[in-house]
Amino acid sequence: MYHALLTRRYLTSKVMPLLASLAVVLCTAMVLITWSVMGGFLMNLTQAGRSLIGDVRIAWPSVGFPHYDDLIERLEADPEVAGAAPLIETFGMITLLENKTEGVLIRGVEGESFARVTTYADTLWWKPLAEPMKKDTEREDVRLEPTDHDLLERLYKDGLSLSEIDRETGQRESALVLGIEVGGWNMRTDWGGYYPRVQFINGSDGSSEVQNLFMPAGGELTVLVVPLDSRGRPMEARTAKLPVANEFESGLYDIDRKTVLMDLKALQRMLRMHEVKRAVRSGDEVSSPLDGFFEDAEPAPEREVVVAPARVTAVLVRQADSDDSSAMDLDAFREHCRAIYAEFAAAHPDVPDAGSIGVETWEDANRMMIEAVKKETGLVLIIFTFISITAVFLVFAIFWAMISEKTKDIGVLRALGASRMGVAWLWLRYGLAIGVVGSVGGGLLAWAIVTNINEIHEGIAASGAWLGQTLTGVPWNWYIWDPKVYVFKEIPHSIEPWKAATVLIFGLLSCLFGALVPAARAARMHPVKALRFE
Amino acid sequence: MSTPPETTRLPDPVATGTGQHGSESRATTQDRASGDAALLRVTGLRKTYRLGRVDVPVLHGVDIEFGRGEWIAILGASGSGKSTLLHLIGGLDRPDKPGNGKPRATIRFNARDVASFSHAELDRYRCRDVGFVFQFYHLLPELTVTDNVLLGAMIRHGRFGYMAKRADLRKAAADLLGAFGLKSRLRHKPSQLSGGERQRVAIARALINDPTLLLADEPTGNLDRKTGAAILDVLAEIRRERGQTMLMVTHDPEIAARADRIVELVDGRVVEASG
Ligand SMILES: Nc1ncnc2c1ncn2[C@@H]1O[C@H](COP(=O)(O)OP(=O)(O)O)[C@@H](O)[C@H]1O
Ligand SMILES: [Mg+2]
Repeated sequence: MYHALLTRRYLTSKVMPLLASLAVVLCTAMVLITWSVMGGFLMNLTQAGRSLIGDVRIAWPSVGFPHYDDLIERLEADPEVAGAAPLIETFGMITLLENKTEGVLIRGVEGESFARVTTYADTLWWKPLAEPMKKDTEREDVRLEPTDHDLLERLYKDGLSLSEIDRETGQRESALVLGIEVGGWNMRTDWGGYYPRVQFINGSDGSSEVQNLFMPAGGELTVLVVPLDSRGRPMEARTAKLPVANEFESGLYDIDRKTVLMDLKALQRMLRMHEVKRAVRSGDEVSSPLDGFFEDAEPAPEREVVVAPARVTAVLVRQADSDDSSAMDLDAFREHCRAIYAEFAAAHPDVPDAGSIGVETWEDANRMMIEAVKKETGLVLIIFTFISITAVFLVFAIFWAMISEKTKDIGVLRALGASRMGVAWLWLRYGLAIGVVGSVGGGLLAWAIVTNINEIHEGIAASGAWLGQTLTGVPWNWYIWDPKVYVFKEIPHSIEPWKAATVLIFGLLSCLFGALVPAARAARMHPVKALRFE
Repeated sequence: MSTPPETTRLPDPVATGTGQHGSESRATTQDRASGDAALLRVTGLRKTYRLGRVDVPVLHGVDIEFGRGEWIAILGASGSGKSTLLHLIGGLDRPDKPGNGKPRATIRFNARDVASFSHAELDRYRCRDVGFVFQFYHLLPELTVTDNVLLGAMIRHGRFGYMAKRADLRKAAADLLGAFGLKSRLRHKPSQLSGGERQRVAIARALINDPTLLLADEPTGNLDRKTGAAILDVLAEIRRERGQTMLMVTHDPEIAARADRIVELVDGRVVEASG
């Protein structure tokens, strides 16, 4: 009983323990805020990396493999698989406005299946918007314009199908969907969105015309790719002029800056991976260095026509959603896909065998980023260790000093019959009390800051702008996480309960640990010496 | 010293349960002076301090015996080992180990040897059988007067026992303090009291568990003559009302004179001074 009473009295009547509690509050809050915000950013980053991959990718790069329709059919027949989509990945070049040509990754996809397997639909930028983005407080987003609703709706549909209706012929034709940073004709706004650039064109008569650089509204770009023959050797480059249907934003700058999506069929034709009928001399090997150039070859009566099936370089697979915990983990799902591929390979002699085909999860594909997340976890652990040690030392130092100051009290307690364990427990309990007050306070502080971090951030930025304006006439940019900078569109603002629990327990243990040695010292104190202590 | 007629009655603290070492039982040895059963009998008590490599012998074989209800004063010069003796009797310290031809010291309390108690037994002994009063009061500054007095009861009964008896114990503490003229000071902190008041709180604290033996180490040593006399009056009253056995240490013969019997500590041994 005296433990509780003394803990309470010592805690409330001394400045030092309050300072110790405050220090623990700050340590706990600091770790929790750092971990939550940093972890949130990295989580956003990895999720962005996942957005255009799906769960598992079965890939045979460059040359690709045929009969993918059959593979997709087999995959989609499996209850573990939600969907599968064909894909071609190749490098190519794109000629932008002002004849600027850049190297890009070109991905050929079927809009419908691609949207089923990935979050492609969500990444399409030009679509009607009902609510402004979080930081778009002035509702400046052009996508909010009710008058443009129909146009945006059309662009969204065009984006999904990677095609658009040709104005002259009225025919639906293949189109490109560019990463939003590829074209360079969009301005990233302060609130993390995009605004089409405008150009002023001065006519010879002195008039000035405003031209919108909004590509999806019209205009064509030239795409260049290099087809490979069936042995992987490059053939003559092919170019095509294609309109832009829409633009996408995955959230990863590298992807949005360097990726161009194209209708699968169109890319297959350009790369000569589409289904072709070839004439071969009977008995000849199917493949020859002149593959794909049979049209130029001289027709001969003894030749027969065979069908070379269309090829893709990859099939993306999405795992079936399942809410029960028996669901496969990602690695198990990958092996499951590999097994399905093995059955498929057994049925087709002309596809790579299951041992050599590349089957990887989105985590495998984003290994670099995942590694960064893992490193981040390590970093947090190191920060934890340091801050815990700081807290331990703090509590230790304060307790050591307090026990010296309270030596007489310890002597009195012993004289009144308190045992050594009783005295030790008094101080441990006291450490625990500081730990509880400190870590719960720290948890609450962290929660208050993290849940309001966007507002706090805005407040800091606004005061910076105001201060700069008043002092120097130029507003200062005090954004710590500038939404103009890619990843920081929105600061993650939730604390995961398990993180909070971990940090709280760490804080508590640190305090207990710091109190351990002083408590032992108090327990070992000789009662007479304690009473005689001056 | 004659007992004055009826004055304020001291309240009895709450019944202390069955744990006390035979507070009703009689010790076997007979007191030489009174013929009463001896409550405490110390034989061959030695205490040597070590200062670095030097042995500093303080007590050279103290033999002392006193009976239930006696008020004994131990008189001795400063540094003669009075406090040391009190601490040994009170179970705060242990006598020298036997050896070098020196016999084993015994501190017989109610026929049990305090000198051979285990740690736990010593804790229990200090808690239930002994009450300490110190020269410098040693009140805990953060606690109120009442809480200081209740400290011993909290230690004795443990958390749940204390909670169960809380109301009774608080009343007992308030009654004790009331009897010492501190009724209006229950919620005060020690720093708000005078020296004499603090010592009265300390005496109340020593009495809360109704100990068999009250040990007072120069209880008036830090007080002026008049206040000191008032404290001695309080002790005399306790003695009269409760028949409390008291061992009081002092260097002042005039103060020692208030006790029933005076023994002197000279050269680490006890010399009987008066009867
Ligand atoms: N821990 C100790 N170490 C060494 N010497 C001590 C210690 N405690 C007390 N003494 C010595 O023992 C002697 C007796 O001390 P004490 O019992 O306090 O005497 P008194 O109470 O009669 O003044 C003194 O000379 C003192 O210096
Ligand atoms: Mg002394």
